[in-house]
Amino acid sequence: MDHGVEDLLRELAPQVLGALVRRYGVFDACEDAVQESLLAAALQWPAEGMPDSPRGWLITVASRKLVDQVRSEQARRRREDRIALATPQAELLSRAADADPGTDRDDSLALLFLCCHPALSAPSRIALTLRAVGGLTTAQIAAAFLVPEATMAQRISRAKQTIKTSGTPLRMPEAADHAERLGAVLHVLYLIFNEGYTATDGADLTAPALSAEAIRLTRMLHRLLPDDGEAAGLLALMLLTDARRPARTGPDGDLVPLAEQERGRWDRRLIAEGIELISQTLPRGQVGPYQLQAAIAAVHDEAEHVDATDWPQILVLYGLLEQVAPNPMVTLNRAVAVAMVHGPAAGLALLADLESDRRMARHHRLLSTRAHLLELLGEHDGAADAYRDAARRTTSAPERRHLASRSARLAAGRS
Amino acid sequence: MKYVAMIYGNQAKWDSFPAEAWPEAIARQEAFNAKYRETGELLGAYGLADAANAKLVRREGGAPAVTDGPYLETKEYIASFYLFDCESEERAQQIAADMPFADVEPVELWPVLHGSAADM
Repeated sequence: MDHGVEDLLRELAPQVLGALVRRYGVFDACEDAVQESLLAAALQWPAEGMPDSPRGWLITVASRKLVDQVRSEQARRRREDRIALATPQAELLSRAADADPGTDRDDSLALLFLCCHPALSAPSRIALTLRAVGGLTTAQIAAAFLVPEATMAQRISRAKQTIKTSGTPLRMPEAADHAERLGAVLHVLYLIFNEGYTATDGADLTAPALSAEAIRLTRMLHRLLPDDGEAAGLLALMLLTDARRPARTGPDGDLVPLAEQERGRWDRRLIAEGIELISQTLPRGQVGPYQLQAAIAAVHDEAEHVDATDWPQILVLYGLLEQVAPNPMVTLNRAVAVAMVHGPAAGLALLADLESDRRMARHHRLLSTRAHLLELLGEHDGAADAYRDAARRTTSAPERRHLASRSARLAAGRS
Repeated sequence: MKYVAMIYGNQAKWDSFPAEAWPEAIARQEAFNAKYRETGELLGAYGLADAANAKLVRREGGAPAVTDGPYLETKEYIASFYLFDCESEERAQQIAADMPFADVEPVELWPVLHGSAADM
């Protein structure tokens, strides 16, 4: 499909679905109707040209599909539910073209909130968001998460059923729920981004790379809520992280750690945009974990060379992050910063605290961090063993090869 | 007839494999996979994670009871397995012998009697 058409369709998908759900209320039926209208547009527009009002066209077609659905349902059941049909066709169609930007805004946002419904599990929220807001097909989502299409179809239809039985209407949550629901939305976007970023390569996906999709949706969220610091922070974090993607893997698909990346291959445009965004956002107050992580990413990205990295500033930021959102991974990262500022021995001392947590002690990230700090300390035997243990623990093949080769290199130097 | 082919190994063997040789080994394995996927005989090829991640799962009082694997006292464990659909056993043996690692490690070949997956 033409990229311009595809982009436009995916941009319009949440607006059209939002408009339909607001009007007719039945989420699952509306969603099917919108998918059909998107498909029709994808087939017709490139051949017959773009309609004057693409959004109005989609709403009209989707409304018609919805009415058809209701009608065939009725034909089968032969009774009741005349509500949708009772709406004069002319009214459906005439309202379709009314492009009220304020309504569009709230519809898209309310749709995101609806897809991140508290009654849904995280995987269901992700799947539903990608389908309803992102406009991806079930097959694309299934391919991206490496599950059979039938499994994903089931997950999505169960999610829609859950929303249906919960009876939540499409409207903005009450102020009290707003912050919590926004937190869930941000988390889902973050998970989608990470899924795309951790996968070795987007080349295998039939879906557009998931991180690109996460960035697109987060941009939309940031446009809808320009004053929300965490939405801005998350977008900045994604841009600053994604900027390093071209340098993250070597020619064999092997992992290249941050310190060894060829920084000339980083995407300067994304870095500039991310830095600008986080610099504007941070001073506005109410600093949250996404903003802090974005700030840390910005400090890394700003360094022309790994030795130019401003580690004291990173250490301060990790200290703040640990206060705002403490978790063992943050402590682990802070240990690296401590080592860079106060020496590897200080970093190792901090790691020792984490090692008392049995689950954490066997985590490959803890093992590889310890290996790295031991290497810095010149304890090559211990480092080689720790790298080997880390290699055995990781379940990512490129990471395993990377860690195993570090272990082998150090072991070869043993006398 | 379907066949499952398995390659076994142990930690010492993997450790002795030079790290810089992996890219070539992977390329050879990929070429093998592509070749038999093309003929329609290879249904799936799966490499397993390190034995350190293997778990033993039992059911005790209706709940899963999980301990470290691989199977107690196992010195050698499965590194990867392949599912083939072949005309004859001879053909399956031919393919198994064509595996890049077959000159280093024997390949265990078992006929598959039952299947319940929808795509089998």
